[in-house]
Amino acid sequence: MSVEVRNVCKKFGQFTALDNVNLKIESGELVALLGPSGSGKTTLLRIIAGLEFPDPGDAQVLYYGEDVTMIPASQRKAGFAFQHYALFRHLNVFENIAFGLRVRPRATRPGEAEIRARVEKLLKLIQLEPLAKRFPSQLSGGQRQRVSLARALAVEPKVLLLDEPFGALDAKVRKELRRWLRKLHEEIHITTLFVTHDQEEALEVADRVAILRVGRIEQIGTPEEIYDNPASPFVYDFLGNVNLFSGRMRDGAVVIGETKIAMPETAGESDSDAIAFVRPHDIRVTREPGGPATLAARVIRSNAAGPLANLELVRLDTGGQFTVQLSKEQFQQLQLKAGEPVFVELRNVKVFSDDYSI
Amino acid sequence: MVPTATISTPRRAAPRRVTAEPPFVRWLLIGVALLFLGLFLVVPLAAVFAEAFAKGIGFYFHSFNDANTLAAIKLTFIAAGIAVPLNCVFGVAAAWAIAKFDFRGKTVLITLIDLPFSVSPVVSGMIYVLLFGAQGLVGPWFIEHNIQIIFAVPGIVLATIFVTFPFVARELIPLMQAQGRTEEEAAHVLGASGWQTFWRVTMPNIKWGLIYGVILCNARAMGEFGAVSVVSGHIRGQTNTIPLHVEILYNEYNFVGAFAVASLLTFLAIVTLVLKTWVERKNTALRGAEN
Repeated sequence: MSVEVRNVCKKFGQFTALDNVNLKIESGELVALLGPSGSGKTTLLRIIAGLEFPDPGDAQVLYYGEDVTMIPASQRKAGFAFQHYALFRHLNVFENIAFGLRVRPRATRPGEAEIRARVEKLLKLIQLEPLAKRFPSQLSGGQRQRVSLARALAVEPKVLLLDEPFGALDAKVRKELRRWLRKLHEEIHITTLFVTHDQEEALEVADRVAILRVGRIEQIGTPEEIYDNPASPFVYDFLGNVNLFSGRMRDGAVVIGETKIAMPETAGESDSDAIAFVRPHDIRVTREPGGPATLAARVIRSNAAGPLANLELVRLDTGGQFTVQLSKEQFQQLQLKAGEPVFVELRNVKVFSDDYSI
Repeated sequence: MVPTATISTPRRAAPRRVTAEPPFVRWLLIGVALLFLGLFLVVPLAAVFAEAFAKGIGFYFHSFNDANTLAAIKLTFIAAGIAVPLNCVFGVAAAWAIAKFDFRGKTVLITLIDLPFSVSPVVSGMIYVLLFGAQGLVGPWFIEHNIQIIFAVPGIVLATIFVTFPFVARELIPLMQAQGRTEEEAAHVLGASGWQTFWRVTMPNIKWGLIYGVILCNARAMGEFGAVSVVSGHIRGQTNTIPLHVEILYNEYNFVGAFAVASLLTFLAIVTLVLKTWVERKNTALRGAEN
């Protein structure tokens, strides 16, 4: 049982927003659709909601096996939360939440008492019971988004679709709401797809993350899978800070300056230039050369504000710059100053065979 | 002594704003504006009422006790009564289409809506004469079927509709564009039909803008002179509206009568202004509350 899109293509004039996308969200799962702006993630969400239609072809949108490709949004029973909330400004919080119940045809419309009971239950869920009579303009951004979620949930949707739900909020409220959403999802287990361009948000909240790039799904997997095993340089780069080290691929190893890192999976490949990807926290810094710490560098700048210290280093052999993240203790032990020479060890090095430049 | 960092600021420096001008400049500008307003607005306005009441209140009301005058008032109400509701519907439909949908020819439509504003009212009248007159394009067909349009009530209504077309649409287009489509989309996803979305979401949001447009539209519909003059034929008691009737009375040196009837239009203008100010305040208060 799942919500599924198959072979979805969408063009706006010359611009290809979606290029043959397939995605399956299992029942009760929370999936994040992650990508930079212009990658087509919102378009995909709108197609699932029925606010946009895929280009003609063999595209299909399925809700638990039922083909809804041609069914208009008002008949699909999806819940949608907009980035800018789209609350009805002339209705108060209570009536906003009740809207989806009040517009039902007479035959299926619940009675006034039931509507009241259901709205009050949702108000409790979003912890805004005292604000039922307020109008949207009298609420903060975080409160508005919670009302918009409650409004979407009121119609008991088959799937909950969230379009950058926290995108317009400040960092602190964002973090709070993100946790709240995860908690809510654990309580009600509704199949959810949410769009974001914030990788931290996606990795923290979602059961699985789908990464979209120029209209194609680049990788899909659990947060750990995609963080530890990014399928492409794009994914690697998108999920966090990254340093690039140019070197050469030779005899099943990548050679960066004096450092040789074994890459058994590349054995048999011919000699070629290679770019190694290393995260800033995967670089170890020492004052003396020794063991695997063989790449000579010099400190340009250091910044110890915050829980981690950031070092900016420059390679002595090629002049390439890179950044390193250290814990505060390591930083204090090293006592590094700008201009001092150091040696670094690269760990968890990743080399992609295809050409890629950032 | 602990050196404390104090930023020395000249105490009690005259709290002058950068834009402040010397008093005499301010008073001069205000004086000029007031003088201009008085000369060109208040004096003529007062003159209308002064002239209307020149021979006393009895005579003023006596001016309305005339079959032709009453017929002119009635015709004006009929013309406005048809033109305003129709333009209300057209205006909402056009604004809805322009603001909420993308389609080919959208800019052409926006330009066309402005046409009645850019064209002289006389030309607007002429268009209908050319179309529906005895020598016109489709006029002979109507005359054959015994339907009189030019020099009759239908012509006056058509000309009024044409001239007042932009008021409602022009008011609503920017408002609806600013509000965007997401509230309608939200309603749609929540299961509302197109009709429900329109009445429950779109209408409440544009209510004050619509009322504002209707007030302006009505003022113009009742006061229109040029276009109506061309198609009316000036048949007393039959095809004269209030503005046309005022002209006839005036040309006949019936000054009190002319100004008495004119005072009706002036009164309408004042009521319009008061309503307009009230609605504007309501509207900005509403928009302000969103931010």
